[in-house]
Amino acid sequence: MNSVQWVGFYTLLRRECYRFLSIPRQTVGGPLLETFLYISVFGAALGSRISEIGGVSYVVFIIPGLLLMSMIINCYANNSSSLAQQKMLRSIDDQLASPVSNYSLLAAYTLGGFLRASLIVVIAFATASLMVQLPMANAWIFVSGLVFSGLFFASLGVLAGLIGQTNEQISSYQTFILQPLIFLGGVFYSVALLPEPFKTLTHLDPIFYMINTVRFGMIGHSDVNPYWSLLAIIAFTIAITAVNARLFKRGYKLRT
Amino acid sequence: MSSTVKNETLALDVKGLKKTYDSGTKALKGIDLQIKSGQFFGLLGPNGAGKSTLIHTITGLSMPTSGSAKVFGSDVVGDYKTARMYVGLSPQDINLDWFLTVEQTLDFHAGYYGMRKKERRQRIDELLKVFSLTDKKDSRGMFLSGGMKRRMVIARALMHKPEFLILDEPTAGVDVELRRELWKYVKKINEQGTTILLTTHYIEEAEELCDQIAVINAGKILKIGTVAELKKAYKVKTLEDVYLKATGKKVQS
Repeated sequence: MNSVQWVGFYTLLRRECYRFLSIPRQTVGGPLLETFLYISVFGAALGSRISEIGGVSYVVFIIPGLLLMSMIINCYANNSSSLAQQKMLRSIDDQLASPVSNYSLLAAYTLGGFLRASLIVVIAFATASLMVQLPMANAWIFVSGLVFSGLFFASLGVLAGLIGQTNEQISSYQTFILQPLIFLGGVFYSVALLPEPFKTLTHLDPIFYMINTVRFGMIGHSDVNPYWSLLAIIAFTIAITAVNARLFKRGYKLRT
Repeated sequence: MSSTVKNETLALDVKGLKKTYDSGTKALKGIDLQIKSGQFFGLLGPNGAGKSTLIHTITGLSMPTSGSAKVFGSDVVGDYKTARMYVGLSPQDINLDWFLTVEQTLDFHAGYYGMRKKERRQRIDELLKVFSLTDKKDSRGMFLSGGMKRRMVIARALMHKPEFLILDEPTAGVDVELRRELWKYVKKINEQGTTILLTTHYIEEAEELCDQIAVINAGKILKIGTVAELKKAYKVKTLEDVYLKATGKKVQS
């Protein structure tokens, strides 16, 4: 990559970060508040009535899932809305007509949402650790699970922004597909507590594996093999990146 | 129809360019066009003639179905990174980024072209002054008046010092005063060596500014020449009559 490409990529990434940093209440403050409300309501209020799960208190049990949920939603929402908005306003033409490569463009859009979500997750983690004592059974698995799940959904957000024609269409993917999958993936409970057929059905939800990987990293408890899950997350992240790279190279829904 | 230019540097060399959209619309039906370095070239044609599609294909906003286009010898598809370094585009529709101020718009644009910070700073100050936008540098693009937005878009196109400037209907919807100001400025940068491709359906604009004009209609170049050559070819007295005879359309006043 020559200097033009580096500066171009850095500028694109700077633009994506500026976008969410210029409206911090909406992009960072809101999601943080949401995470703390979940911790407070589900953890503090309900937690006292629920016995330990996986050898830890209920509030500690749900924190890995909440962090992952925050990561997933912010990666997806940021990237899908940023790309869709620029497509609709055609302000993206300024980038498309520039010498910046298609891959730099894809990388910048993907990383924009990932950085926003990472910022929220780091602050949420730091603050949660002030509220309750958080264990860390396997930091590598914990961080890798969050990072690769985040990258997967950052890429999925880019894909949705690329395909989506209207804001309503893009937000409906989040409301009707993503949110149910997250909630049914076991953020607030262990799959072991579910009756059949819900126990089996949960295993069809990819987010279930992500939550359990991150949860294993923090508390050392998982309903599935976390190592295989992590490998699957990495494989899916590579696959969706390859799909996006191909679409960006073709200029799919970007260049007429 | 093409005017073949030999032994001179070509800013733009388009050969057999065709563009068919997914909808089946044939927007370009085999364009051949050559623009010499330093020329002020006009593309005159009615709405839907293919002017914007041709420009989009040159700038990478649209992918050609077949044929080729080269900017200063670099293919716009095969060697797009080099080709796009030469080109500055002022699009027909205002497409400013809502999140950015006037100054940031220029700064980010320059970054996409690899300009270093110090160089960017200097160029931003220069263009803000030239386009009388210094007082508005901290305003977001969406809050500018129509005329200011238009100036902003042209300033952005010039930010990376392109050797080939494409102005797609730059004076559509702007007042007479600003139109005259823009004419003066683009004439000046053309004299300094920038090649300019101007699309317009204002006859007087094409007549005032362009060394050579191509009349385009229904995805085809109908004729290329100087104003005098076109009048002679169509056996008429004014450029307006050339336009009417060539396209069969009314002239925009």
